[in-house]
Amino acid sequence: MDVSDILAAHAAKQITTRVEKEIPLLIDAGFLTVTDLNVVDKESYDADREDYLLSTARDGIQALISTLFSLPSTHTQDGPLTSLPPPNTPLPRAKPLPKPKPPTKWEQFASAKGIQKKRKERKVWDEEKQEWVDRWGRNGKNKQGEEQWIQEVPHGADVDHDPVKNLRNARKARVAKNERQRLQNESRAQSSSSQLPEREKRKQEIDRTLATTRVSTASMGRFDKQLEGEKKLKGVKRKFEPTETSVESEKKTNLAILSKLDGDAKRARRDVPGDDAINVRKAIRTVSKGRGSAALARPVGGRGGKTSSRGSKSGGRGRGKR
Amino acid sequence: MRPLTEEESKLVFAKLANFIGKNLIQLIDRADEPYCFRLQKDRVYYVSESSMRLGISVARPNLVSLGTCFGKFTKSGKFKLQITALDYLAQYAKYKIWIKPNGEMPFLYGNHVLKAHLGRITEDTPEHQGVVVYSMNDVPLGFGVTARSTVDTRKLDPTAIIVFHQADVGEYLRDEEALF
Repeated sequence: MDVSDILAAHAAKQITTRVEKEIPLLIDAGFLTVTDLNVVDKESYDADREDYLLSTARDGIQALISTLFSLPSTHTQDGPLTSLPPPNTPLPRAKPLPKPKPPTKWEQFASAKGIQKKRKERKVWDEEKQEWVDRWGRNGKNKQGEEQWIQEVPHGADVDHDPVKNLRNARKARVAKNERQRLQNESRAQSSSSQLPEREKRKQEIDRTLATTRVSTASMGRFDKQLEGEKKLKGVKRKFEPTETSVESEKKTNLAILSKLDGDAKRARRDVPGDDAINVRKAIRTVSKGRGSAALARPVGGRGGKTSSRGSKSGGRGRGKR
Repeated sequence: MRPLTEEESKLVFAKLANFIGKNLIQLIDRADEPYCFRLQKDRVYYVSESSMRLGISVARPNLVSLGTCFGKFTKSGKFKLQITALDYLAQYAKYKIWIKPNGEMPFLYGNHVLKAHLGRITEDTPEHQGVVVYSMNDVPLGFGVTARSTVDTRKLDPTAIIVFHQADVGEYLRDEEALF
């Protein structure tokens, strides 16, 4: 008896969990995505479109789910939990690549001379101490001379010669020079990005002068004779902060505005005369603990002296303020 | 959508500070999630940073609303608070006023609050101070500006106005198309 037919029929009935395609499916478990690169089978697509799409989708999902089950999972109260691997499909970036920074003056010089950039280590070897010390900062190598407990004074030096002070001034001057050069580099980078040729610059200047003169009449240019081919004046374009700024900086500016507002309000309140007068009704209520002015007037028994003295003290304060 | 300029921020903060005073810091410097103010078509929205970032990808004509609308700038450059800001105003309000049940409906139809309808009021409310209006069971109904200080209201007759109406929750029905 040949059972191969029966077996084949049984196997066909059982939908296999293994998906085999001509080009293997691309599975990205991180994004839960399956990409099918196979060519659409035109015959079966034309024959029954719904069925074909359904089977393609089923294959994809089957492949994805079997990948998910092959991932390591942990058992939790709510059932097995699988953490997805990081996605491996590269997505295009949202923003354009940042523009390269214009080179500093040193970088220009170094590239002209063919000088390679050398990275300075943060620590340097100290021969005397026989250990690594910081190049700068606290107890840095650059402050070694200043922090010595004994200083050499050159022969025939002034009375007010202070070697520590001299070293410190020299170090501070180096820092200031570096900062100055940094600012120069920055301004050069700014100007080079908006650099215009001489002729273009002159043209802009003339345009600006013309625009100023056009609105410098009694009617602010409204009833002037129009020249032929004269264009309408363009206003200044408004500029706004970018929508997507760091929240920290935005918060800071907002708080600054707020504190400025507070300051204005306080100043305004101080200017209004008679506004600092105390609220008599409220003062009486707090002093008498809500019993009213009559309670203040009448002295109370043995310990009455205490209460009345407190009342009169507060009253005195109020009068002083007024 | 864009952040507010300094002048615009000043106008918005001055209006808000009239209602919530120093608590305005709580709105700017939030502990749970960073929030920011954004302007879109003259309207000021108070929106969490994450949804603001999502909103960036929507084109300006297509963006209808985002976050909570706090109010709008008029054509003459003034800022007007809208009823949609009530949630935050009610949460941080410095001065409050409660109105009796028989005064709720007149207020919700856009009328001023009369002295006859006054239930309770915060002590020492000054004149022309922004106040949030509540019903007697502490449901915020709207907000307005006091006509008199708390002390002066005592001498008034019952038909006198004590709070000028600015916004009420009835606007959600009356001005549905103009809100948000």
